[in-house]
Amino acid sequence: MSIPKLEFPPFHLPPEAEALRVDVRAFLKETLPLVATEDRFPSWNTRSPEFSRALGRKGWIGITWPKQYGGSEKSFLERYVVTEELLGNGAPAGAHWVADRQSGPLLLRFGSEEQRQAILPRITAGECYFSIGMSEPDSGSDLASVRTRAEPVPGGFRVNGTKVWTSGAHHNHYCIALVRTSGQHGDRHKGLSQLLVDLKTPNVTIRPIINLAGRHDWNEVTFNDAFIPESCLIGNEGDGWLQVTSELAFERSGPERFMQNFYVLRELVRVLGRQPAKRASAVLGRLIARLWTLRQMSVAVAGMMQGGKSPAIEAALVKDLGTIYQQDLPEVARTIAESDATTEEDMADFLDVAQYATMIAPSYTIQGGTTQVLRGIVARGLGLR
Amino acid sequence: MDRETRDMLLETAERFFTERCGRDVINGVEKGVWPEDLWRDIEEMGLPLIAVPEDKGGAGGTLLDMLALLRVAASHAVPVPLAETALANLLVAAADGEPKPGPTALALGSLTLTGGRVNGKVERVPFAGVADRFVVVAGQGLAVVPSGNARIDATPSHAGEPYGTVRFDNAVAEYSAASPVNAERAFELAAVMRAMQMAGAADRVLATVVEYCKQRVQFGRPISTFQAIQQMLAELTSCVAATIASAEAAARDADEGGLPTGGSFSIAAAKSQGSEFAQRINAIAHQSMGAMGFTHEHVLHHYTRRLWVWRRDFGSETFWGAKIGAAYAKAGPDALWASLSGSKYAA
Repeated sequence: MSIPKLEFPPFHLPPEAEALRVDVRAFLKETLPLVATEDRFPSWNTRSPEFSRALGRKGWIGITWPKQYGGSEKSFLERYVVTEELLGNGAPAGAHWVADRQSGPLLLRFGSEEQRQAILPRITAGECYFSIGMSEPDSGSDLASVRTRAEPVPGGFRVNGTKVWTSGAHHNHYCIALVRTSGQHGDRHKGLSQLLVDLKTPNVTIRPIINLAGRHDWNEVTFNDAFIPESCLIGNEGDGWLQVTSELAFERSGPERFMQNFYVLRELVRVLGRQPAKRASAVLGRLIARLWTLRQMSVAVAGMMQGGKSPAIEAALVKDLGTIYQQDLPEVARTIAESDATTEEDMADFLDVAQYATMIAPSYTIQGGTTQVLRGIVARGLGLR
Repeated sequence: MDRETRDMLLETAERFFTERCGRDVINGVEKGVWPEDLWRDIEEMGLPLIAVPEDKGGAGGTLLDMLALLRVAASHAVPVPLAETALANLLVAAADGEPKPGPTALALGSLTLTGGRVNGKVERVPFAGVADRFVVVAGQGLAVVPSGNARIDATPSHAGEPYGTVRFDNAVAEYSAASPVNAERAFELAAVMRAMQMAGAADRVLATVVEYCKQRVQFGRPISTFQAIQQMLAELTSCVAATIASAEAAARDADEGGLPTGGSFSIAAAKSQGSEFAQRINAIAHQSMGAMGFTHEHVLHHYTRRLWVWRRDFGSETFWGAKIGAAYAKAGPDALWASLSGSKYAA
């Protein structure tokens, strides 16, 4: 058989990671009741600078980074445990999430020493937040088609163009923008670079894009002859494509791809009561079994990454399955709750939660690579294209 | 069994099954032809004794070694009760008995065992029609009942394997003893066994379908070059991956946690997951292969039909889902994450 062997070797998180889990749980139990948030069910995109700073004080942001930049030099697997505990316990980790997950690691790998020293310690302290500057109005799944242009000028770049779906740009300090620094629009992967953009830069305008649920998470970020100093170029001019794809790997493989709406499952358990009928139990149990499987797969991927492998196909499979699970969850939960919720009061409350989760659910299979793009990656792995 | 020995055994088994479990043998069993030579050679290789201690004539392998072998066997649709016999032999040896040669079936259900006599009925017993004996686990006891002492109504499975309803009416056991594995646990071990077999079959379905789509030419090019097909095969891959990953994790947990109790929750979750995705796997596989895959001549149905049967063997997704759901509901929402992240029924 010519197709690559599909394996997710079962992996145990090591004792130091499990020990850290105990500490993280204790911290969250103590801290979460004290943190006020605007969301009834906080998750990875609920912002609380207060919470992020508290987490930073524990050394749990940028946990894998070198100590000289404020990191704790712990393993990727310990980071995994922190991440899943934040999600499993509904911590409002949105402010620092992108900085911790991808912007910091990107700067660590490709950034200049000056950039690292200036920014990484502020991220680990839970005080410095990042937005992703990839998508544009004409550039979604086809990221190589970005049009934002950074023209070299003395001392830096003059930038013109528009980024969209820029989550948190109205709160955050920086955005890492993928821009064209040389060549033509049709050059695709060549001539792209990444710039570290201070979102307070003159001629950078941030306007809200309200999503269908009425929330202001997204923004449109417009560059109108904005001057970005040369010192803000990340890595080498022209290496933007290579860098951005490594950034996407960080974005795809984490437990946030199947635990974003964990609160729905939790609320379902509550609303079904302590002794649901067999049918309701079976529906609940099947959902739990799917989530458990996703966690086994994700931990296996983490184990492979810790072992120095780059399981890109496996990560794509986890995101594909995980985001579809997240879309199924509110719908399956709603239908079983409609027949099996224990009291009418609980039911009304739960439907409210499920309805909100249903409205948010279409985003899961779009952000971080659409299902169809991911399946294209898997198809390439199968040797079909 | 060390890693190297196991890998060697699995490679040998892979070659043997490739050579010996062709379409004709599998179709023969469906027509009621027992492949005597195949079974004899499987026994000569010692495969049914893989997880029996060396001092009882076995290979001294672990539960995990056995499950790994059964995954390989299932990827060839081996149409004899290797899985059932291997697990039965493990159970007999664990209850201080001596495993005997010959195809053996597992009768697990609501049975009673008192004074060396078994009573009760079990439906859909795999390979009941060809077994020399039944290994029964009832309560805390194990019994070995010669098939002549039971009443068997043969009802072949939808995959054409000799399943049947088995009735024990004060049936005399040739061996009975206290068992470290109770009835509920024996059912769990059978479930993880099937889950691993489903992983093997699902893997083979994927390989078969991908190969076919690369070769099948329509509209002047291999159909694998069409995006519509690529998207289907990628989804198939994700379902197969989930089946494999859940089964392997459960097998690991069952093995590490010890024979009497290990990995209870993981087994339930894996069998629920595998059984739930079997339908999607089969649906995509058959859609991708069109009419070709729907013929009896093609081998695809050897695997898809087994998946459809196996998802119901030893607990379907409804059975295991209900068990998980009831336990999690009882423990309440505050225990949910701790239980799930600990692979436990209740934290």
